[in-house]
Amino acid sequence: MKEMMIILVSVILVDNFVLSKFLGICPFLGVSKKLDSAIGMSLAVIFVMTIATLVTYPIYDKLLVPNDIGYLQTIVFILVIAALVQLVEITLKKYVPALYRALGVYLPLITTNCAVLGVTLLNIDSGYTYIQSIVNAVGAGIGFMLAMVLFSGVRQTMEQSDIPVSFRGVPSVLIAASIVSVSFMGFAGIVDGLFR
Amino acid sequence: MNRLAILKNGLLKENPVFVLLLGTCPSLAVTTMAVNGLGMGVSTLMVLLCSNIAIAALKDFIPDKVRIPAFVVLIAGFVTIVGLLVKAYAPDLDLALGIFLPLIVVNCIILGRAEMFASKNGIVDSALDAVGMGLGFTMALFIIGSIRELLGSGMWMGIPVTAGHIEPIAIFMLAPGGFFVYGCMIALIGKLTKGKSVKKKSFGCAGCPSAGICNPSDKGGSES
Amino acid sequence: MIQVYMMPITIVTVIGLISAVVLTFAAKFMAVTVNEDVAQIFGILPGVNCGACGYAGCEEYARQLSEDRSVKTNLCSPGGSDVARKISTILGTDFEEVAAKYAIVKCSGTPDKTDYVMDFRGLQSCSANKLFYRGRGACFKACLGYGDCVKACKYDAIGIVDGVAVVDRERCVGCGMCVSRCPNDLIGIIPTASRVFVSCSSPDTGAAKRKICKAGCIACKKCEKVCEYDAIKVTGNLAVIDPDKCTNCGACIAACPVQVIRQY
Repeated sequence: MKEMMIILVSVILVDNFVLSKFLGICPFLGVSKKLDSAIGMSLAVIFVMTIATLVTYPIYDKLLVPNDIGYLQTIVFILVIAALVQLVEITLKKYVPALYRALGVYLPLITTNCAVLGVTLLNIDSGYTYIQSIVNAVGAGIGFMLAMVLFSGVRQTMEQSDIPVSFRGVPSVLIAASIVSVSFMGFAGIVDGLFR
Repeated sequence: MNRLAILKNGLLKENPVFVLLLGTCPSLAVTTMAVNGLGMGVSTLMVLLCSNIAIAALKDFIPDKVRIPAFVVLIAGFVTIVGLLVKAYAPDLDLALGIFLPLIVVNCIILGRAEMFASKNGIVDSALDAVGMGLGFTMALFIIGSIRELLGSGMWMGIPVTAGHIEPIAIFMLAPGGFFVYGCMIALIGKLTKGKSVKKKSFGCAGCPSAGICNPSDKGGSES
Repeated sequence: MIQVYMMPITIVTVIGLISAVVLTFAAKFMAVTVNEDVAQIFGILPGVNCGACGYAGCEEYARQLSEDRSVKTNLCSPGGSDVARKISTILGTDFEEVAAKYAIVKCSGTPDKTDYVMDFRGLQSCSANKLFYRGRGACFKACLGYGDCVKACKYDAIGIVDGVAVVDRERCVGCGMCVSRCPNDLIGIIPTASRVFVSCSSPDTGAAKRKICKAGCIACKKCEKVCEYDAIKVTGNLAVIDPDKCTNCGACIAACPVQVIRQY
């Protein structure tokens, strides 16, 4: 139990996927302008990360490794993730149209995105068990949501500010992101402090 | 356009990192040292070259409906090959790049160029485009990496420059430094090209999955 | 030797084939039939997503209209009777005129009538200012004049004139998007037929209001006494007009000593 909490806290706060590990920057910069799109995107990300881990981890563990073809993990993972997300999109559209309307637009963006493939690869690299991987994936999604929601607030306030011409648009957003990233650095000692 | 123009395109006018704003994840993550940026750029160049050639060669045989998944699998194959080569011949680079080496497969530049260029043009043109884009990417990463390494540790390519004399600003080697340098570089390039470098919708949006949601005016561009 | 080559090729091919088969079947069996009507109706609606119809956005209204024939076609205020007529034609239902409405701002606290109590340097927005010691107006129900309502309006029908929000009656369609933006709840939606309204929202006593704003309703009840139609009543220190009874005769306007009752 304590390990789960440590994994969760470290992936949400200390080693935040977006602000520390630099995974998922494209949607972070693109979709964080409004709060509702930020929330919609983050929920879609949590969803996709979880089911991607649920499927890719056993495939790696039970299919690739016993047959000595661990080196195929990139190809197999991306193939599985792409097919899975497509399947989820079709199912949602048919059976839960309300959810499809809220999240559906973001699903293709997340498929070929470093965030999802990154979390599946990191699960393997960090040597987590199945349950730990799932916790890691959910935590990564929650960390992504935290960063997105905070940042959408920052961006909405920035809209009111007077920014020099060459910095308008993406440069100002990136510099704001760097400051938010600094604030997350403050969580560095939290795992040791809370759990040990 | 003529062959030289295709090559030069990726270097300056449509530089993938500073103008098209593609491939932001590796640009921020691996540029802690200039040599890492260089290594990542070269690996991406290799993958880009191979995939552009392969896709240009096979474009007539791949049905339209499975176009994107087919491209992705092809690119994934080349990424695996390049990854194994790097692991074998440059293990230090492999350690430094970490998971960003396999993540080249989802680098928007590669899928974007495949979609925008290789699926519509001949083999030689696609190869030149790949070289141009790859060199532009490498150059951009090298610049960002050099700035971060110089300011963050006082060294450049492992050679101490200001290391003993001036206290380096360590934060440039960490996450916030990456965002900051990248943002300033885009602003600088924008200023130098007097705003003409701003991304318009006619540039490589087709291959970028966020095309449906992205509004170019958000990126400081004009809607056209 | 063959093992090294055959195994990976087989596994990846099998995974690819399974994915392809599953997706093809899914696309076939779980295909969603698009309702033609919905798309057509949605095309006619203005797309403002204001919620005046009572549904969650234009798409939702279009869907409800096509699925349930009892839903009225005249609920779209911004669309007006034009849109209602077109929808009725598509659905083959009866056409009713849209009950035209418009917005009014119930505050007349211009700088000559009242003062600001602070020089606010924070985020220049009504909602932000309201959070800071109830806003910069001397009256807590004052129009703060930063224009959150102006930003919300898609019809350019509201503007800040002399520090107070004013509605352009010609342009206003009564969609109500400005109403939710005002942190002081100063904006009301009334039927177009009703031209007279009381331009104050403060429930403070008349004496208290008089000290801080020369334009506030002092609840003297002169209007109530003069009205022949029982349309205006003073409740909670504020005169309120009942739009169903008011005939726009203007007697209350003449009777009001502070001229807080306005006519469009």
